[in-house]
Amino acid sequence: MEGTAGVCSWKQCDPSDAHEYPIFRRYMTLEVRAAIEGARESGATGFVVNDSHWSMRNLLLDALPAAAGLRVISGAPKPWSMMQGLDAAPDAAFFTGYHAKAGDCATLSHTYSESIYSVAVNGTPCSEALLNAALAGSYGVPVVLITGDRTIVEESTRAMPWTVGVVVKDAIGFSAVNSLTPHAACEAIRAGAREAVGRVARAKPFVFDSPFELTIETVAVEHADFIELMPGFERIGGRAVRFTSTDYPTLLRAFIAATRIAAAANPIA
Amino acid sequence: MNLYISSDMEGVAGVCAWEQVDARTPHPEYATFRRYYTHEVTSAIDGARAAGVTGVLVNDSHGPMRNLLLDQLPPDVRVIFGNRKPFSMVQDADGGFGGAFFVGYHGGAGEADAVLCHTYTPTVIYEVRINGVTCSEATLNAGLLGYHGVPLLLVTGDRTTVEGVRAQMPWVRGVVVKESIGNFAAASMLPPEAQRAIRDGAEAAVRDAGQAKPYRFDPPITLDVQTVTAAQAHLIATIPGFERTGHRSVRFTHDSYPVVFKAFVATWRLGAMA
Repeated sequence: MEGTAGVCSWKQCDPSDAHEYPIFRRYMTLEVRAAIEGARESGATGFVVNDSHWSMRNLLLDALPAAAGLRVISGAPKPWSMMQGLDAAPDAAFFTGYHAKAGDCATLSHTYSESIYSVAVNGTPCSEALLNAALAGSYGVPVVLITGDRTIVEESTRAMPWTVGVVVKDAIGFSAVNSLTPHAACEAIRAGAREAVGRVARAKPFVFDSPFELTIETVAVEHADFIELMPGFERIGGRAVRFTSTDYPTLLRAFIAATRIAAAANPIA
Repeated sequence: MNLYISSDMEGVAGVCAWEQVDARTPHPEYATFRRYYTHEVTSAIDGARAAGVTGVLVNDSHGPMRNLLLDQLPPDVRVIFGNRKPFSMVQDADGGFGGAFFVGYHGGAGEADAVLCHTYTPTVIYEVRINGVTCSEATLNAGLLGYHGVPLLLVTGDRTTVEGVRAQMPWVRGVVVKESIGNFAAASMLPPEAQRAIRDGAEAAVRDAGQAKPYRFDPPITLDVQTVTAAQAHLIATIPGFERTGHRSVRFTHDSYPVVFKAFVATWRLGAMA
């Protein structure tokens, strides 16, 4: 949702907000709809939409296309979080409304959780897009479209040159944007989705090389304290842990578990 | 001999309600019972010292783990104070101790007639078993002490708790300070009598230390956790190495007991987020 046109504040993305959120969840829904429509125009038939923001029940279901072969995954927590539903064996994946990684000078930048200072796989700093693309990649599924602000779109298309990028806004620091209007963003996304489906045959699954090494820097020491409790995690610094595996899905699940147990450290005991 | 003391609060004489032991939203009764708690610990130290114990490490193991009135303790003991220790109630048990005491302990989740019974987190842990053995906090903690070669010598608390520990570790001396009546009432000794009994029990326990054995689980060690809700098991199953064994159950197996112990701590920390 953070990469939706116009979004520049947590309030717009916070389901408990009564004023701005209802407006922006509609914009988010319209962008998803535009992506589906563009893909259908290029011949895509079946769709799984995984609502991947916050409570993961943001999409206005009655505003999605009433198409046969469209399923929606709503709710949280899900074991595979933002990437639930790959078991449907899709031919390709779209990432819509994506945002930049923790630490980037970009709109609402973060990586899964505000407890994460940075995350890298095999030494490569990772956004949610890259972490998630590598999960899709490990099942042979290429990412063919990414939409969001310029920072995340450009970084992702550098890593995955076969991916169509749709930039709907430029970040002005963390909480301001220079954005397309929702209408123009939807038009651009629809066109991008149309092109993206046409590229599926040339697109490649994005993968890291095995063995995989996950390194996480946390915001605070207490986050690493909790992550270190979990089997397989090694403490490598006051605010740093490491996890290795020869299986990428195992690694991503460990990362998701780390973000969740780190969140448990946030309330003052 | 150096002695390790893990002290909890629910098993202190007179305690029968959460309000008396709730340090996070302190009720006026907490201030009273934290004093009784401190005095039961000092009584255990006094008894141990009478039997020749020299060094003492007390690990405050209740709630936020900063309950002991420090100025009431003998000045030459060391204290572990504060929360979120990876080994929780048995932190730093690897320091060359000749024996350990569990003071003020309580029964495991689901035990009848054990005041305020629970196992670490009442809202998450329905039951926990290691290698098929149903574990109270005392069992889990004794297992970590045993891994470091430290035998449990003394347990104090209500009758159900004390007898439960002695059924698993017959060499442990028990001091029963109260009879629980259900989960929220007890027929108890008064604090001075309980403190005297604990002092005497501690002295005898140290004198009999030669007969005590470290309590160990043999590898491979299998941890089975039943959760209160399915949502908790759903989250816990995402911890690396964990397997979902049922709607409300998960399993983890490893050769190292400290790894298993920390994994157990992770289960209730993560489960609390569901």
